[in-house]
Amino acid sequence: MIGENRILTTLRAVIKKSPAEHTEAVFIGGTLGLTRYANSYIHQNLTENNTKVIFRTVTNSRIGVTSTNSFNKDDLYRGLVNSFKIAQHQQPNPDFKGLPMSCKHKKTKTFFEPTAIYSPRQRAEVIRKICRQAEKYGITMAGAFSTSSSEIAVVNSNGLALYQPLTTAYINLIAMTDTSSGYAEALSRRVVKIPFASLTETAFKKCLDGRNPVDIEPGRYDVILEPVAVSSIIDWLSSIAFGAKPYLEKTSFLSNKLGKKVMGSEMTIYDDGSDSSGLAFPFDFEGVPKKRVYFVKKGIAGRPVYDTIYAAKAKTRSTGHCMPPGFSGGPMASNIFIAPGKKSKSSLIASVKNGILVTRFFYINGLLNTTKAMMTGMTRDGTFRIKNGKIIGPVKNLRFTESVTKAFSRIGGISKETQLVKNWWKDIGCCSAPTILIKRFNFSGKTEF
Amino acid sequence: MRDKLKSVIHHLKSKKVAYGDIRYVSTTHQSINVKDRVVESVSQDEDSGVGIRVIVDGGWGFAATSELSDGELIKTANLAIKIAKTSAMTVKNKVRLARVKPYIDKYSTKYKEDPFAVPLDEKIDLLLKVTEILHAKRMIKTAEASLDFYRIKKFFCSTEGAFIEQDIIESGGGYMATAVSGTESQRRTYPSSHRGDFACAGYEFIRQMGLIENAERVADEAVALLKAPVCPATETTIIITGSQMALQIHESCGHPSELDRVLGTEISLAGGSFMTLDKLGRFKYGSPIVNIVADSTIKGGLGTFGYDDEGVKACRTNIIKEGVLVGYLTSRETAPLINAVSNGCMRADGWSKIPLIRMTNINLEPGEWEYDDLIADTKDGILFDTNKTWSIDDRRLNFQFGTEVAWQIKNGKKVQMYKNPIYTGITPQFWNSCDAICNMNHWHIWGIPSCGKGEPMQTAHVAHGASPCRFRNISVGVRK
Repeated sequence: MIGENRILTTLRAVIKKSPAEHTEAVFIGGTLGLTRYANSYIHQNLTENNTKVIFRTVTNSRIGVTSTNSFNKDDLYRGLVNSFKIAQHQQPNPDFKGLPMSCKHKKTKTFFEPTAIYSPRQRAEVIRKICRQAEKYGITMAGAFSTSSSEIAVVNSNGLALYQPLTTAYINLIAMTDTSSGYAEALSRRVVKIPFASLTETAFKKCLDGRNPVDIEPGRYDVILEPVAVSSIIDWLSSIAFGAKPYLEKTSFLSNKLGKKVMGSEMTIYDDGSDSSGLAFPFDFEGVPKKRVYFVKKGIAGRPVYDTIYAAKAKTRSTGHCMPPGFSGGPMASNIFIAPGKKSKSSLIASVKNGILVTRFFYINGLLNTTKAMMTGMTRDGTFRIKNGKIIGPVKNLRFTESVTKAFSRIGGISKETQLVKNWWKDIGCCSAPTILIKRFNFSGKTEF
Repeated sequence: MRDKLKSVIHHLKSKKVAYGDIRYVSTTHQSINVKDRVVESVSQDEDSGVGIRVIVDGGWGFAATSELSDGELIKTANLAIKIAKTSAMTVKNKVRLARVKPYIDKYSTKYKEDPFAVPLDEKIDLLLKVTEILHAKRMIKTAEASLDFYRIKKFFCSTEGAFIEQDIIESGGGYMATAVSGTESQRRTYPSSHRGDFACAGYEFIRQMGLIENAERVADEAVALLKAPVCPATETTIIITGSQMALQIHESCGHPSELDRVLGTEISLAGGSFMTLDKLGRFKYGSPIVNIVADSTIKGGLGTFGYDDEGVKACRTNIIKEGVLVGYLTSRETAPLINAVSNGCMRADGWSKIPLIRMTNINLEPGEWEYDDLIADTKDGILFDTNKTWSIDDRRLNFQFGTEVAWQIKNGKKVQMYKNPIYTGITPQFWNSCDAICNMNHWHIWGIPSCGKGEPMQTAHVAHGASPCRFRNISVGVRK
């Protein structure tokens, strides 16, 4: 950790010498400790220590961006000047209306010392214990266990200077026999909150219950999607629908639908980076506070997330969802919540007469027809048949191909229990997802295992 | 830098590690993105650091840092040793590496025109012209064009005595036109999706891409797709063009032939493979005309280099020979398990990541057909062009791929255009149905700069040589 004082002082000093009209520096740095295991032994074990400073300079609305991973003052200044030189070759960007001004932020605790100092040996000991337990059941284990500490800072020539330290702990477990696999994962800012014992139990149970799966014909089934499966669909919605870029380009299912019904009234999906029940991160990479944004509220279409550039295009205000300078995907939702329901997961399962339970999906692709949120993907690591309210046994993996907006219009129930699931923005966000029962979900194909 | 690296190796030897290597990598990445007649971003990223990898007590340790002071390098080396000792806590079989000659050598990409010496204004003008042409069509809602250039400097130094210096240059670009009408949205890209086409080459590669020349056609096709009928669900003969074949090879042969997947060490994220060890030398992966090689030596391929990231010299290896599985992509650690030497596929995404088995240039060898003859020889079928969607199960068997456009083929002629085309299959059944491959006149190496694998996610730059192919009795469309 470099520390708030040194980061902000250094970046302020470099920006002060900038020849540009507007200058911004974004610092992203930290240490990642990651231990991967497979075949019940550790096969990759690493520590990565890195920093990155991204400069955005603007003169006459001409924007230049450079980055460097050196924190040496001379290298930083050279990076800044290169950014200024690049901007000279640019065309003016009519949507640049200035860098954000400094404003008040909600204080959010996102750094926990025990996670930051968690050692490779401590991670190895956890994995050794899990693997030894697995041996007793003839199970082989695979997965990854990471602990990280990071620092993010945004400084600009308007006097804005923000710093946020973060820690993240994440583990996933796959328990395997020759014919089955079971999965569990957990994510938290605090490693002490990771429930290793119950995760192990879940992965073991799914694996043992999943032995010798039977063939099942594709078709429409009522489906119980567990939180990890739900989250992977939401990840794709975030990419193809929840940002201002697809919204304004009219490729999002939300485009032109404000106030119209797009899903079942049970569905409420929103982004809230300030909610500490998720993996909170209070400001975006321009330093704008994150606001709660409803994409779908009781089935009715809402608005996308914005940064300052896309907000100017749409003549609205930034919602605090800018990604690091140079990212070409536009503003992104990274702290997504799906509002929980009132039923328990077990009661949802009990309500299914003829259905399938999905633990998670693999390799979803959401580009089939983005205006209809048409997606495809495979089940993996625990797919089970449900009959008359009971899980009766494992089935081989299936492919789904389905419009998510249509599927989320056939909600049979949403669990009151939710789980934080890792998404593409692991350190600055996640998805808080419940278990969801969907009626007549379309499984379009099957595989051999 | 050489002396710094050598002193770390000296330190590792003094600590009596079983094996150690250090890689210094410095990358400059220039990226230019134009959208709708506006330069959306011009960026240049500089990134450098070292990664140190050791084997101690039979376990691996890896530590990486961007701070390059002598003290920090020794601290990082000691951390790698400490981490290796914790890995050893769970080791069942000590890591054993295949022997490799400790090369002392230099390698550089051969190119004509340094892409970083070409003025920024010239590059920006090219992209602005492209989006101007695309936007000339009223229904084109969004036009995006991009160029990317990489300059990568690498040093590799090992306790076995290797010292390798490499200078790699990569260039690539492409564009996408999105047509919108009501709630219908359709896109076309050129020369391929996934940010275009890439090569280990200089700016001469960009000049010969035909970016301007093809823009009007691409815009016309995007607009035409809005009114085209949806590709019907059926079982039929399909012809797949070269760029989509690149994706087909990538997902259904490249990834499952990675030996670390086969051995289960990537199972938690990327998945495993159906190409299990018992199938080596006997499994009928495809029809007898199917020959697939891994070749990191071929000129211009995005997966071309002098040495991999554990010092193994670039080479050519058969993966599928006359339809039979005969090889895997390997590393020094995995190759001994199939009684082989490494074929040099260990690659890391920069200095900070641990090398993994990655694709290089995984090429489908050309066949004998002329493209026009192949179309003329097809009485009833569908032609698929340019990848749009990709999904495959975690053992690489059941796949569903979609392309941007398809055309009905009737009595040897390309007729009706279709939108939202999808085809699906089980990998070995699919490749066994291949009955025609076009010849070298239609063969091209497609560079893909975005192959993901590993935790934390690593992006590899890979390529696939391919020409159009024909497959029989393929399931097209989606079961309702």
